[in-house]
Amino acid sequence: MTPSGEPVIRVTDLKKYYGDVKAVDGVTFEVARGEVFGMLGPNGAGKTTTIEVLEGLRPPDSGNVEVLGLDVRRHPQSIKQRIGVQLQSVSLYPRLTVTELLDLFGSFFSHHVPTKQLIDAVDLGERAKAWSINLSGGQQQRLSIALALVNDPELIFLDEPTTGLDPQARRSLWDLIKGLQERGKSVMLTTHYMEEAAELCNRVAIMDHGRILQMGTVSELIGRRFKERAVFFDSNPKLPLDRLTKLGGVTRTTEEDGQTVLYSTDVPGTITGLLATADGLSVEPRNLGIRHATLEDVFLDLTGRALRD
Amino acid sequence: MRTLLGLTVANVKSLVRDRAALFWTIFFPIMFVFLFGWIFGGSGDTKISVGFVDQDGTPASAGLRQAFAGVSLLGLHDGSLDAEKAAMQHGDVSAVIVIPKGLQDALVQTRSGNKASIAIQLYGDPSRNQTTQVVQGAVTQVANGFNLEAQGGSAILTVSQLTLQSTNISAVAYLVPSILAMALMQLGVFAAIPLVQQREKGILKRIGATPLARWKLVGSNVLLRLMVAIVDAVLIIGIGFVVFNVQIVGNLLASAGVVLLGAASFLAMGFMLASFLKTEEQATGVVQIVQLPMMFLSGIFFSFDFLPGFLQTVARFLPLTYLGDALRQVMVNGTQVAPLGEDLAILTGWLVVCLAIAARSFRWE
Repeated sequence: MTPSGEPVIRVTDLKKYYGDVKAVDGVTFEVARGEVFGMLGPNGAGKTTTIEVLEGLRPPDSGNVEVLGLDVRRHPQSIKQRIGVQLQSVSLYPRLTVTELLDLFGSFFSHHVPTKQLIDAVDLGERAKAWSINLSGGQQQRLSIALALVNDPELIFLDEPTTGLDPQARRSLWDLIKGLQERGKSVMLTTHYMEEAAELCNRVAIMDHGRILQMGTVSELIGRRFKERAVFFDSNPKLPLDRLTKLGGVTRTTEEDGQTVLYSTDVPGTITGLLATADGLSVEPRNLGIRHATLEDVFLDLTGRALRD
Repeated sequence: MRTLLGLTVANVKSLVRDRAALFWTIFFPIMFVFLFGWIFGGSGDTKISVGFVDQDGTPASAGLRQAFAGVSLLGLHDGSLDAEKAAMQHGDVSAVIVIPKGLQDALVQTRSGNKASIAIQLYGDPSRNQTTQVVQGAVTQVANGFNLEAQGGSAILTVSQLTLQSTNISAVAYLVPSILAMALMQLGVFAAIPLVQQREKGILKRIGATPLARWKLVGSNVLLRLMVAIVDAVLIIGIGFVVFNVQIVGNLLASAGVVLLGAASFLAMGFMLASFLKTEEQATGVVQIVQLPMMFLSGIFFSFDFLPGFLQTVARFLPLTYLGDALRQVMVNGTQVAPLGEDLAILTGWLVVCLAIAARSFRWE
């Protein structure tokens, strides 16, 4: 299903301060029905505060916040009936079983999906009678998503759904989230994994220090920022950066994880020059590769910091 | 109603499946009943000392005294009615037998063909049911023997049972309501721990993101604790009765009322504590700091009077002092630290103050 029609979220100039800390400092965005919208940013960027205002857990200080066409300040209860919520790193009643928790949460809503169906949807059938405390990290996240789906919501909020999971569990959760979109749900998620945002989101907002720095599709964000591609390699000894900067097409150079990275608008020219320079110094470049810029690069470029610092 | 019930069931399951919590809320107080029951309840002396008051002062009453002295179970302690009643109130004697004036006359009357009878008065302490029953049995036996011997079984002597509260109710009778008070205190104060835990884990916040009304979340916790309070009360009173023969002589309904008021007061205290505590470790520590001194200063294990003066003053401020006092008064007619009305008023005061503070300061995350 493609995003269309009336937005499910409309936020205008939202502000939320805690004393001197400007947790959210004037944020404006919309999420269309059927869209998966991601907020990408490091810890403390204001993603969670924003999402918790939308969920009706915190009152906004100022700004206009509508969820499913309803004002969060005036209709928090009606909104809560129709949204699904997964909070960041929440454990549940540790000694209740998966089935008991789903039954319990279902009872909080005026209508709810049969527990069996939810358990099947998140593939927890074999663990239905297990206490939540005994589930693995990935299973707990799946349970947490099942709980967010208990009222068959139109809009689902996922706050860092895959933080702390191993790659395999993360993959399986991604499939689950993609399935939600196929069933016509709108999803707003936060993450600090750029590959997650790239994999799942129709649109992404990059947030830092309580503000949205950039917003758009992943390719828009990268294309807008970077015309160049990255040429990267290892070498021993390191080649002097000042000489590399002067090579044809190179706009800037960095060192990342022990690798030298050259951003270039003319990749063949840069590589020719690089090999000649290396040969002149009798150094052999190893693990030479080329990649497009990523959201990580966009973030680094926007803020001067890496996402997970 | 369905959600409130569901949430309460969830809380009950969480409690029952948590062995540590179950131990503290249910088995710990029961352990105390057994422990202190055995320490204080051992009946070392075989003779029951009984005050004997002879108001007749005739050969007939002297004969009767001899008959009582012959009962091996009883140790007689002679004196005036006032002196013996005072002795009983101090716990020196367990019962008082009074032979009223007119015994000799009644005997003479009966022998000359007129019907006449006179009642032996027996003061017993209803909270020491076992002792009282033994004494009563002995007195009845002696009276029957006397009647038989005197005039072919015609009832000259009857026994009239009177009750007198003794100051020193038996140690076990003192302990049963006291331990119940302790259990209710702990039940309430310890409620802070799961609350802080649920907040720390984000469970309260997660539920806050559903349409569930918050009062139901609080209500289910209150319901759970009141249910446990009733279970505790039934178990402690039951064990006190079955194993240590402490009978509840007071009004059961009044006792239940005091149990619920006490549980509610301390629950409010638990909620108040939970308002200020941030982590589970903090909660566990602070709860102990609150409950331990209260347990030892509030006259739970020994009478209030044994405390040195300044600690008595401290104890006068502790709500547990008044819950223990109120429970002893309504359950076993214990002597009072304060009048029952005052106990209840102070407990209600604590309830209101703690609740007000909790309502103002409680944080859901």
